[in-house]
Amino acid sequence: MKVILHDLPEKYTELLQKHCDTVIRADGKYAPCQGCFGCWTKHPAECYLRDSLHTVCRTLGRADELIIITRNCYGMYSPAVKNILDRSIGLSTPFSTYRGKQMHHTLRYGKHALLKVLAYGDMTAQEEKTFAYMAERNAVNFGYEASSFIPMKSLAELEEDVL
Amino acid sequence: MKTVMINASPKKKGDVSGHLLQMQRIMLHGTVVKEKLRTQGDHDRILEQLRDADTVVFSMPLYVDGVPSHVLAFMENMEAFCKEHDLQLQLYVISNGGFIEGSQNRALMQVFENFCDRCKIGWGGGIGIGGGVMVNVMRILLVVYTGLFLLQLLTGNVQGGLMQYGEQLLVLLFFHLGIFWCMFRTGAAMRKKECAGVRFTRVLVPSLIFILMADLFFVLMSLFQGGLFRGWLKKK
Repeated sequence: MKVILHDLPEKYTELLQKHCDTVIRADGKYAPCQGCFGCWTKHPAECYLRDSLHTVCRTLGRADELIIITRNCYGMYSPAVKNILDRSIGLSTPFSTYRGKQMHHTLRYGKHALLKVLAYGDMTAQEEKTFAYMAERNAVNFGYEASSFIPMKSLAELEEDVL
Repeated sequence: MKTVMINASPKKKGDVSGHLLQMQRIMLHGTVVKEKLRTQGDHDRILEQLRDADTVVFSMPLYVDGVPSHVLAFMENMEAFCKEHDLQLQLYVISNGGFIEGSQNRALMQVFENFCDRCKIGWGGGIGIGGGVMVNVMRILLVVYTGLFLLQLLTGNVQGGLMQYGEQLLVLLFFHLGIFWCMFRTGAAMRKKECAGVRFTRVLVPSLIFILMADLFFVLMSLFQGGLFRGWLKKK
């Protein structure tokens, strides 16, 4: 399954929908993670907050290929996109293992193929380095076998890079 | 000198971030203001505190290799505030991750360094701590040990109780040594408003043992929350 997570204006959702199985639009109309671990221990793969991200980890967990399109924010995702990633830890289990020679949680849905991150907006050279490193770290954490980071100069590059 | 300490844990109570700030607080002089950052409603109040501050210390949990989303939202507002009021702050960060390796906080530190560049404020560095949950467990153990020691005092076993309590405190101190050392060095830099650099440390437990303890922690947590193994490993 190919999933695209983006924080672009609504009009892009329709365009992106033609090129993947599921589009998740980060509109920011949801609460941040409260750090309760309930999505691991009390009601696995389900957040206690009953908003649009209630079971979003299941969608991300089933993605073979995840494409994230986000505004750059100091070499990281925009708050709206990061919120969705924060609320998705239920795609792993509470148990731990070693992955990439470091401690990580075991994966509820097994390994995934590709994590691709495309960032747009003003970006310094250092932020670009940070973001590439962040994408690499997230790929290991979420169990992706490959990852790539593409800084976009403009949204016109979107079609070329994603579709 | 005014320091604003921002506890950015989303938890209402029992968070490691606040506990770490309390430990760092001991090593600071001057006026120290503690603030809690949980929601958008906290932004204006904290920004007002920053107006005449010299240093700001963030403490937060590591979320998915980076800064929690509610902190990112605050940082965007803070950037605008810093530029508007031309603040001359020095910023430090204490982050704690659930994984044992402190170096897993590296990307978060880089994000804050980039943030300081954008805001044109000083990057003071910080401490990335691995095994943050264990810090909380040890805090609870300290209370339990102290309670048991007091009980022994009441029963008249002063010498035996003192020996046992002393040993227990030494063990807890050993686990914290890396954190204390980093806080000591960073605290010295904070007092001079200098860059401390970025340090990574951890609770001094071998990773394999830590993993077993973390697994046990989640089993117990689930048990207290009403039952065990409710499809923990299943695809939902």
